[in-house]
Amino acid sequence: MILIPLLVQGLVMLLLAPLATGCVRFFKARLQGRHGASPLLPYVRFATLLRKEMVIPTTASWIFHVAPFAVVSTSLFIAFTLPLLSVAGAPLGLDNFIVFSAVLALGSVFLVLGGLDPGTAFGGMGASREMTLAALVEPAMITVFAAFAAVSGHSDIGGMLSVGGWALLEHPSLVLSLAAFCLVALAENARYPVDNPATHLELTMVHEAMVLEYSGTYLALLEFASWMRLAVFAVLFANLVVPFPLMSLPFSASAASAAVLATLLKLVIAMMGLAVLESSIPKMRFYRMQEYLSMAFFIALAGLVLSITTFS
Amino acid sequence: MTTDAFIPNGIAFCLAGTLLSGAAAVCGRGVFTHRASQGILILSNAVGALAALAYLLTGKSSLVLFKLPFLFHTAFMLDGLSAFFLLLVTVVTCLVGIFAIRYVEAHRDAYDIRSLNVTAALFIFGMQAVLLATTIAGFMVFWETMSVASFFLVMTDRKDASMKAAFLYLTMTQLGASALLAGFFLLGNGTMFVDFSMIAEHSTTLSPSMILAAFALLFFGFGSKAGLVPFHLWLPEAHPRAPSHISALMSGIMLKIALYGFLRTTLFVLPPLPATVGFAVLVIGLLSGLFGVLHAVVDRDIKRTLAFSSIENLGLIFTMVGLSMFARAQGLQALAGVALAAGLFHAGNHAIFKSGLFLCAGTIVQTTHEQNLESMGGLAKVMPIFTMAFCILSLAASALPPFGAFFGEWVFLQSIVGTLHGGDPLFVKGVLVMTLAVVVFVSGLAVFAMVKVFAIASLGAPRSPGASRATEPPASANAPVIALAALTVLVSVFSPMAFQRLSPSMMRIAGEPLPVLSIATDSLSPAALLLALLALLIVSVMFTIALGNRRRRACHVWDCGQPVHAGMEYTATAFSAPIRFFFRFLLHHRKTVVAVPVVPTNPWIATRTMTINADSLWFDTLYRWIARLLFWLSTQAKRLQNGVVQFYLFLIFLSLVLSLLLTT
Repeated sequence: MILIPLLVQGLVMLLLAPLATGCVRFFKARLQGRHGASPLLPYVRFATLLRKEMVIPTTASWIFHVAPFAVVSTSLFIAFTLPLLSVAGAPLGLDNFIVFSAVLALGSVFLVLGGLDPGTAFGGMGASREMTLAALVEPAMITVFAAFAAVSGHSDIGGMLSVGGWALLEHPSLVLSLAAFCLVALAENARYPVDNPATHLELTMVHEAMVLEYSGTYLALLEFASWMRLAVFAVLFANLVVPFPLMSLPFSASAASAAVLATLLKLVIAMMGLAVLESSIPKMRFYRMQEYLSMAFFIALAGLVLSITTFS
Repeated sequence: MTTDAFIPNGIAFCLAGTLLSGAAAVCGRGVFTHRASQGILILSNAVGALAALAYLLTGKSSLVLFKLPFLFHTAFMLDGLSAFFLLLVTVVTCLVGIFAIRYVEAHRDAYDIRSLNVTAALFIFGMQAVLLATTIAGFMVFWETMSVASFFLVMTDRKDASMKAAFLYLTMTQLGASALLAGFFLLGNGTMFVDFSMIAEHSTTLSPSMILAAFALLFFGFGSKAGLVPFHLWLPEAHPRAPSHISALMSGIMLKIALYGFLRTTLFVLPPLPATVGFAVLVIGLLSGLFGVLHAVVDRDIKRTLAFSSIENLGLIFTMVGLSMFARAQGLQALAGVALAAGLFHAGNHAIFKSGLFLCAGTIVQTTHEQNLESMGGLAKVMPIFTMAFCILSLAASALPPFGAFFGEWVFLQSIVGTLHGGDPLFVKGVLVMTLAVVVFVSGLAVFAMVKVFAIASLGAPRSPGASRATEPPASANAPVIALAALTVLVSVFSPMAFQRLSPSMMRIAGEPLPVLSIATDSLSPAALLLALLALLIVSVMFTIALGNRRRRACHVWDCGQPVHAGMEYTATAFSAPIRFFFRFLLHHRKTVVAVPVVPTNPWIATRTMTINADSLWFDTLYRWIARLLFWLSTQAKRLQNGVVQFYLFLIFLSLVLSLLLTT
């Protein structure tokens, strides 16, 4: 029974994930004075990719075939376990913050392996960059959630929502952690200023370079995984700021529909914010990423230190 | 036979069998002798592993196995701590023995099989016996057996570089051993024939400064053996030079013997130490983790990378142990218990995955004849079974879910964060935050290092003739690697149980009794994590089969209109370039690019060669100055050797007088 809210949440996230990317592209186009494609375009793209024939590079090994499934299952894992629509809490510590960041790292690792497998310069370049980002973002992410955990006394992310929302005003240091979370989320999702998701230019590519050799169904899975990641991060951030209305136990249809509507709204607003951000800042040179990443890490650390010194 | 009788008999059988395999190896250089010797080794260690496991599962109190009639009547005793480490030694030796059968045969020309097998058996015997010996004399004798045997093993291939590495290793290990001896002498009031419990009694009467001095000496001795920064210089030189199955033993378990020695002395022999000592161990551990992982990321040699990763892992283990000592001194008993158990648990995991990775490296070096990651590539296509095991081991070494090492770090970080929530003094919280920040930073980079090793070695197209001739190794060479990979998954599934077993109260690590771990094993479940990930994997595969287009076409990679060749691939150097750039102030790597114009008149068309000078920060800053000091001292000492006999007699007389003065 306790799994019903989680299942509902996972299915809703599955449905909404392509919309997130569609929305951000749409809003960006509008902000840049273009008409832009419909926000529903990613759904069409997903269906098209599923129907297409796959081209498998001759140099590819078994890793090439395993990577898309491994990446998509890590994305689904976070969609089902994190407190996105439900605060019922995943059982057995599956929404623990360390598990969350480690599962994300696992997904990044398989993406990297899949990118390196065909043996092209592009794949290697994207893989090297993605691995650098993933390795340096993980500590910042754990530190962010460690601050929430130290203040709330919960190590599951569902419990951490109790210090979100208005309660943030009681622990202002957590605002720093939230800011660091934004930086982490931008890096994890290959958005500005870390990566430019719109171009295929070797100077800037990270994510796109890795999936260059994928096509057809595999590409559909990989794209879906990255859409899902973006949607999950957006909703998670929104829930840390506005932790209601969410489903809880016992399951009721009215609470569920309220949560679904609220999530839709949160997602659209978050994507609007992301579009504004992406239209107003330039992309950073990759070799300046150390500044960005150390900033994320030290802001997160400052949030943690301030929250444990002011708290107790 | 009942378990009570089986445990001592099994361990005696294991020790005798290990010696017997050495004796069997003496008999000849032929293949048959080699196989017989390895067979005895495998069998006896399998029995030893069962005995140690039986002891751990029954949870008995300490057990005196037998007393030697020589070596000052050293008693061989088994308790929780030694049984755990003995289990690691025997399991790894057993699997490495299976690997060695074919591996050593294939290197018959390069290695002298007889001496290799004899010294390997002595090495393993030394490691087993040092865990069981209870007197200082016995401990030091077996410790030296292990060290000296491994010195000979490092120079098995008798190349100049190996000799150099071996002598560096010998210097460090003998310095460490003499520090150990000095430390034990301080504690035991100058005798070395007493056992640990008597020393523990005597050490309670010593002054705190004496205890600190003894601790510093012992920590240097064990720390240098464990490869902690800044005493680590020998490790990345010596481990890669040995034959790969010996590297697996050295990295996988010999470093753990140093950990065992450290734990034995700090937990059972020394009186409770102040918090600053725990803090010092913690800082050294963090430093080792940081430097180990950075070098592991940027190194290009497969075995050196693994050796640096061992430094990192030992650093993490000592961090956990140091935090446990610190927490115990601060009265945080729960954190102390969890941290110690996490350290032991990580030691077990590291023994499994690191020996597995060294066996993988051995297989790769054997099939490609290359030790440089740059010249590998393309193995996954031709060696699918082997690379799957290799992949699992690398993921396990990255401490990613769902593998055992992840659970250890998970519980460790979790208990730190849990303690941060409490109302402890700010100083304690500051230490905890520092530990947390560095450990997560190190574990992030560890993922990078392990992905680099696996991906650059096995993915892409082969980058050398050797790599393109690689073939799937025979089942007998694959079996131990697969077994170790399976063990990492198995340990993960049973990790809450294993963790409970390793808690200090179960291990009867006395001093003051530590509480049984309060980690509710039902609230953190690696098995559930594994099942959830597997379920989602199966769902996504089924979805693809049901809805996706199954037509496939094989084609060459996208090539921008001109043929792609392996020279365009990312290499290990290129792959780790961002990290090398970001941490250039710590790594001291100097890149020089020399451009020679093809046509003298046009500087733009040039052939470029790049060299990366990988100096060590520690060598530049610390060791160079020590070397200069020693040289200066020796030139001063040379003045004494003036060849005048009367002067020498005078010196002898002077030293006699001095020693008389000092002893009275």
